Amino acid sequence: MDTFLAALFSGTSRGAIYALVALGLVIVWRGAGVVNFAQMGQAMFSTYIASALIQNGNSYWVGFFVALFAGSILGALLDILIMRPLSNKKKTELLSSESMRAAVPVIASLGILGALQALAGIIWAAEERGFPAPAPQEGFSVASSIMPFTSFDLFVISIVAATLVMTTLFFKRTGVGLAMRATALNQEVARLSGIRTNFTRALSWAISGAASSLAGLLITPTSNLSPNTLDLVLIIGFTAAVVGGLDSPAGAVLGGFILGLVISFVTFYLSPEDVFISILGVLLVVLIVKPRGILGGKDARRV
Amino acid sequence: MRDVSSSLKNPSIIRRSLRRTILFVLFILVLGSTFEPYNQAQLAVVLIYFIAVLSVTILTGISGQISLGQGALMAVGGYSTALLMTNYQLSLWLAVPASIVGAGIAGALLGIAAARLSGPYLAGTTLVIALAIPTIANRFMSVFKGDEGLSVDVGYPPAWFTKAFGEPTYEAWQLYVVLPFAAIALFFASNLLLSRTGRMWRSIRDHETAAALTGVNFSRQKIYAFIVASIFAGLSGALYGLRGLVGPSVYPVALSLTLLTAAVLGGIRSIAGAFIGTVIVVFLPDWIDLVLKNFKLSEQVSNFMPALISSLLLILTVVINPAGVAGARHRKH
Amino acid sequence: MLEINSLTTSFGSVVALDGVSMSVQESKITTVIGANGAGKSTLLRTISGLEHPAKGSITWDGKSIIGWKPEDVVRAGIAHVPEGHAVISELSVEENINMGSLFRRRVNKKDVAAALEETYHLFPRLQERRKQLAGTLSGGERQMLAISRALVSRPKLLLLDEPSLGLAPLVVEQIIDCVNTLCRSTGLTVLLVEQNANTALGVADHGVLLALGKVVADRPAAELKADSSLRAAYLGY
Repeated sequence: MDTFLAALFSGTSRGAIYALVALGLVIVWRGAGVVNFAQMGQAMFSTYIASALIQNGNSYWVGFFVALFAGSILGALLDILIMRPLSNKKKTELLSSESMRAAVPVIASLGILGALQALAGIIWAAEERGFPAPAPQEGFSVASSIMPFTSFDLFVISIVAATLVMTTLFFKRTGVGLAMRATALNQEVARLSGIRTNFTRALSWAISGAASSLAGLLITPTSNLSPNTLDLVLIIGFTAAVVGGLDSPAGAVLGGFILGLVISFVTFYLSPEDVFISILGVLLVVLIVKPRGILGGKDARRV
Repeated sequence: MRDVSSSLKNPSIIRRSLRRTILFVLFILVLGSTFEPYNQAQLAVVLIYFIAVLSVTILTGISGQISLGQGALMAVGGYSTALLMTNYQLSLWLAVPASIVGAGIAGALLGIAAARLSGPYLAGTTLVIALAIPTIANRFMSVFKGDEGLSVDVGYPPAWFTKAFGEPTYEAWQLYVVLPFAAIALFFASNLLLSRTGRMWRSIRDHETAAALTGVNFSRQKIYAFIVASIFAGLSGALYGLRGLVGPSVYPVALSLTLLTAAVLGGIRSIAGAFIGTVIVVFLPDWIDLVLKNFKLSEQVSNFMPALISSLLLILTVVINPAGVAGARHRKH
Repeated sequence: MLEINSLTTSFGSVVALDGVSMSVQESKITTVIGANGAGKSTLLRTISGLEHPAKGSITWDGKSIIGWKPEDVVRAGIAHVPEGHAVISELSVEENINMGSLFRRRVNKKDVAAALEETYHLFPRLQERRKQLAGTLSGGERQMLAISRALVSRPKLLLLDEPSLGLAPLVVEQIIDCVNTLCRSTGLTVLLVEQNANTALGVADHGVLLALGKVVADRPAAELKADSSLRAAYLGY
């Protein structure tokens, strides 16, 4: 029973972080048509900024909020400086086919990832360093028995839940949110309605940047920080988004929790070595039943 | 696979491909003979990567399916060869062709799943495959020997070779072993791209609906493309392992991403593009190192400078010309 | 108020518009008719900035709008309702309408609400279904929705692309009537593109006949409607 609860709690708190990563990917995919492989590179970079601030004697929360801000600025800059010029080339014959439209930005984002990792190595050296947690990472003790979850787990779950609620409200209740949804669903109609799609695109990069920076801040206390530590988080987050449906923010969150729990239960009950094969199994089962993910809607391909 | 073999019956296409292949082999032989051993080994790596990048060219550039997991298929080829060579003492000249069959079967299975998936979903699946397949090595320790891996190499040249051409260095022998395979791969790829099958695959890529209306069974054709691409990847992976070791660390996720990068960098729709991209990816770090030697940099900076510069060059190339270095001339494909 | 001069737009080697010159008079309905592929849609798409012309000029209120982005053209008072009942199926009816007035929210919040009320008054059926997803509407309702979205941007010129496409004759009549009333009562200028020449010429003040990207006739609508030889040659009936 204790093992089960431990797996459940660690899976939920891990899953919450993967949900954030997947949500960030889905926002950029819908808003800009790009699978952004640089996302966790951006998160790594802003987590380093927080780490540097905290080491220089600032409080955790100064580092925390500066990192979120830096993450969103970096996201918007990448869109404006790299992805926007790239998407303006859509008229060229090469980018007229769907596969190339998806592949070329992926290559650009891999380039961004490489550049950010190298830059982080140059500025902060490659050695792993710890990153503080704002809440204790030891199990609660209630009546002298240690509970299988920590107050840091609770912190993670509640801050992610709050973020998800705020994001939903933003998209459903505000005009800018409506503009972003419209742009994601049908760019031409959005533009004809007077929506500045360049702005909404950059904004989706910024929001995604902030969400993934939050994920970086929440995962590094348990995984340490180095230029490469978040690579795996990106792959798992991407898988979560694919499992849930890349076109669906709710699906991304669902996929994140599913993967978090699968990873956690496999680690606790089988062995850590089986984790990736299990992820592959889950992915294949989901995609065989629903080729566009659990909440991804109908297969939009014709014929 | 009738459609694929039909291209071999067209004599003018065969002549063209044969000409290209012979020129290529001569070029590599001349280049290799002027190189130092270190660069000869690099050239062998170029040829090995070239075969794998051709698989990306066929799969993504010609048939329009994105794979981030060609490295996993390379691992299938590598492990098959290594197991055949260590457990059955097969010569590499038999083991490599046999392991290609294994990669082809793996590709068929993958291709059946892939035909149902569109763009990013396929990319995601293949990425997880690239991540998961190497971990099988740790699951079945007794067969695959875990992280330690299986050691295999190209061995020594046979007596008739040394008699005829003299004793080559180990690096040169690596190059000579790889070259015939690369030549065969180039010949087939060239045939395929020029043939009716290649045209059909391109038409599926560009106009799935129209291709279906003209009676092309496009999901079957996509699976064929996947199998052919897997055979190329498997061959490349087998040769890659023969450099000394077959293990999980030899076929990381980064390898798959490097292949896609090389293909896009050179120009994803042409064989010339595949070769140019491969040369850039393999030699660029060395070239950057050469330039950086002239500056006084701290260790922390010089460790990361090549990666930074090559990443920035990659971004620039893609933003300035998404068609790649060799892309502009090959628009018609 | 809209002047188009020797406008040429091409897609690769295909020339869709070949030196088109015409003008749209204020508070009038001008219709552009022609067979399929005559370049009618391309004309509207070039005006609203979705396509980039190779040559020629478009002058709106004395300013050249060549090279403007679609979002800036809307903001300047030209609202385009594209072909095919262009609404966003995954958004609710009210969200679809609100989309058209997002850019005016900060400037004039009161008028945004008023505009929404007016469109509901014009198309009461949309008010009944305001919470429904646009994807659940019938073809006619979608066309009304697309027009409503354009109207809440308070345009001076409305570009309507084939509003009759795929709709039952009765519904077409209803929609055309609405547009007609709107033009006569509020002074809205309309540029209506139609394949259904009879209906279009019936309400329009002025008619332009396009064939293979060229203007072949530019006359008062009644005159054009009466010219049976032109009709036979270019519209095939």
